[in-house]
Amino acid sequence: MNLSHIRLVLLILTLSLGICLTANAQDSELKFKLKPGASGKLCLDCHDAFKEKLAKSSVHTPLKKGDCIGCHNPHSSDHGKLLAADMTNICATCHKSMVPAGAKSVHKVVAEGTCTKCHDPHSTNSKFNLLKGGNELCFECHKGMGETIGKAKFKHLPVTKGCLTCHDPHASGKADFLLKDSVPALCIGCHKTDRPNFIKSHMGYPVAGSRCTGCHDPHGSDRGGILYNNVHKPVVSKMCNQCHEAANSTTPLKTKKAGYELCRVCHSTQVNSMFAKNRVHWPILDKEGCLSCHNPHASKQKGLIKADLITTCGRCHQDTIRRQEKSMTKHEPIKDGKCTSCHDPHASDNAFLFNQANVIDLCGTCHDWQKHSTHPIGEKTRDPRNKNVSVQCLSCHRAHGTEYKHFIPFPTTSDLCVQCHEQFKR
Amino acid sequence: MITGTIRLNLVLALLMIPVQSFSAQTTTLKLVQPVLTDAKEGMLKSPQGVACNKEGLFIVGDTGNGRLLTYTFKDDAVKGGGEVKLPQMIYPQRLQLNSKGEIFVLDGKLRRILRLSQQGAFIGFLDPQGLPGGTAPVPKSFKIDEQDNIYILDTYSERVIVLDPAGKYLKEVPFPSPHGFFTDLAVNAEGSIYLVDGTNSTVFVAEKKAMAFVPLTKSMKADMDFPGYITTDSRGNIYLVDQNGGGIIALGPDGSFRTRMLSMGWKPGLLYYPGQICLNNKGALFVADRDNNRVQIFEMAK
Repeated sequence: MNLSHIRLVLLILTLSLGICLTANAQDSELKFKLKPGASGKLCLDCHDAFKEKLAKSSVHTPLKKGDCIGCHNPHSSDHGKLLAADMTNICATCHKSMVPAGAKSVHKVVAEGTCTKCHDPHSTNSKFNLLKGGNELCFECHKGMGETIGKAKFKHLPVTKGCLTCHDPHASGKADFLLKDSVPALCIGCHKTDRPNFIKSHMGYPVAGSRCTGCHDPHGSDRGGILYNNVHKPVVSKMCNQCHEAANSTTPLKTKKAGYELCRVCHSTQVNSMFAKNRVHWPILDKEGCLSCHNPHASKQKGLIKADLITTCGRCHQDTIRRQEKSMTKHEPIKDGKCTSCHDPHASDNAFLFNQANVIDLCGTCHDWQKHSTHPIGEKTRDPRNKNVSVQCLSCHRAHGTEYKHFIPFPTTSDLCVQCHEQFKR
Repeated sequence: MITGTIRLNLVLALLMIPVQSFSAQTTTLKLVQPVLTDAKEGMLKSPQGVACNKEGLFIVGDTGNGRLLTYTFKDDAVKGGGEVKLPQMIYPQRLQLNSKGEIFVLDGKLRRILRLSQQGAFIGFLDPQGLPGGTAPVPKSFKIDEQDNIYILDTYSERVIVLDPAGKYLKEVPFPSPHGFFTDLAVNAEGSIYLVDGTNSTVFVAEKKAMAFVPLTKSMKADMDFPGYITTDSRGNIYLVDQNGGGIIALGPDGSFRTRMLSMGWKPGLLYYPGQICLNNKGALFVADRDNNRVQIFEMAK
């Protein structure tokens, strides 16, 4: 076969393909007796404003092709805006691979199918039809994060470049928080751990395999080295060997003692006073010890607490947190995550690790009306339901809430009162 | 000649057989009486522990008053209430009796187990001998089996230690991973050890010769708030005390959910943050009803 024959064959193949494609479009139009351009271009005759949309720099492919019926049904629909499918599913009919199989984290909006929170389905002037460009879009929802990043004295360069430097906006198959890779692998991509500066600033400890975010705030902070704002004193003074074995030892990252015994070396007064109490909070006594609730190096929270108290306490006391969430009336200290307003997180002589022995005194620290309440309460007022307990605030209320109003354990106030005042029972 | 009525009754009786055998599995609790005071009419204060035996003895850990109270329960009558107060015992939280009638007390403040004679005299602290690694346990709870072997839930070293009756180390089984917070352990007549994870409302089991725990149940969060205590009966049924939800949950030997008994409240028969429970061979259930400052005795009707 000579060259002219090959050219001829190729020409025939190309023409055949073209004819097939045109025929297909014509077939649809003929089949449904559609007017020319009725799959989309015709729509623009009425939907005038779309001419403006088409002029934008990023136009959704179906719209660009004039294929409005790719998403809309021109006659009728069970869904708003004559969409061909439910708003939360329609994008996935074409964009199927946004979430990798076995994803470790998925952006809430992606999971919910609310793609339009970030993308305009027709067109925008930002890449990928995004409603806004850069971090500005992310900060619409992650407002607090935006403020924190804006205020941080020491910035992390990738954050200023854009959230998408480290995060995948849809889902991550590798890590939590939509991170493109797990920590430290993600960090090590930029921060070379064998550089002298890196080694020196980590006091020669082999931290390449450690979780960088245990000490550093990847979104920036007010401390040099973007350490979290609250730093443990030995870390500030670079005295790692106060807790860890020497950097040149065979087990440099091992701590010198385990559990609370390590913390006791410096915090002996506090630990000893805890152990003088009748009840010690059990996590202090387990393998993790103080680190059940505290970070050993640095933290965003005061007192080096791992996270806000609702999260930290809620890790074990899920039932109590759940009760508050379901409660019709919210108890402010709990709502605000101030568990320590009533409880001592370390130890106490009192039930529920209460700060005070007397429940009325404890509640009275905020509710001073309680002290001049007309209902008899106090040690001398015995509970008619059980003479072994006195009447106090918790005789009628559950401080973490109930499914009823005012933290009472009964549907109505009268249901509660007749528990004791039986003569008024109807 | 069998009449139509008799025939009908016979058919009904036959049909009732499966219903009756099913109801044998269902347990209900009937309040016998609450125990509110000691022999001198002194009130109980935050009792967290209670132990019982087949001779009708039951001992209360009157935690808030730092003492033990000894009673008997025979023919539906409670007698006694004598006090055992010792300088070595500050905060008695959990109690066990061995086959000789010796009393073992876990002191929550000292985090040590005391061994007392039948009469309540202090014999000594239970200091395990021959522990590998030498790390002293921090006991959250403990149990004694029918052979008087002692099982300690060691929170600090994340293991269950098994000791012989003299306190000599026999073996240990590490906590399973991952886990939440283990609030208690139990041992059944076959020597299987159970662990209850309070945070995840899950039960784990290690058969007698097993060296590892495996999950017996899935999370039962929908059925309970915070299981704080676990025990078994002679048939191998498992009972969990829902401390924060004021109830008792019965599981079958295979961990299957059977029923939830009792509810939260102050009136007799209701529970408010219960602690330890004890079942005796006569079907009596003793409940340390901590925040109601009482112990309640129930009859397990089958």
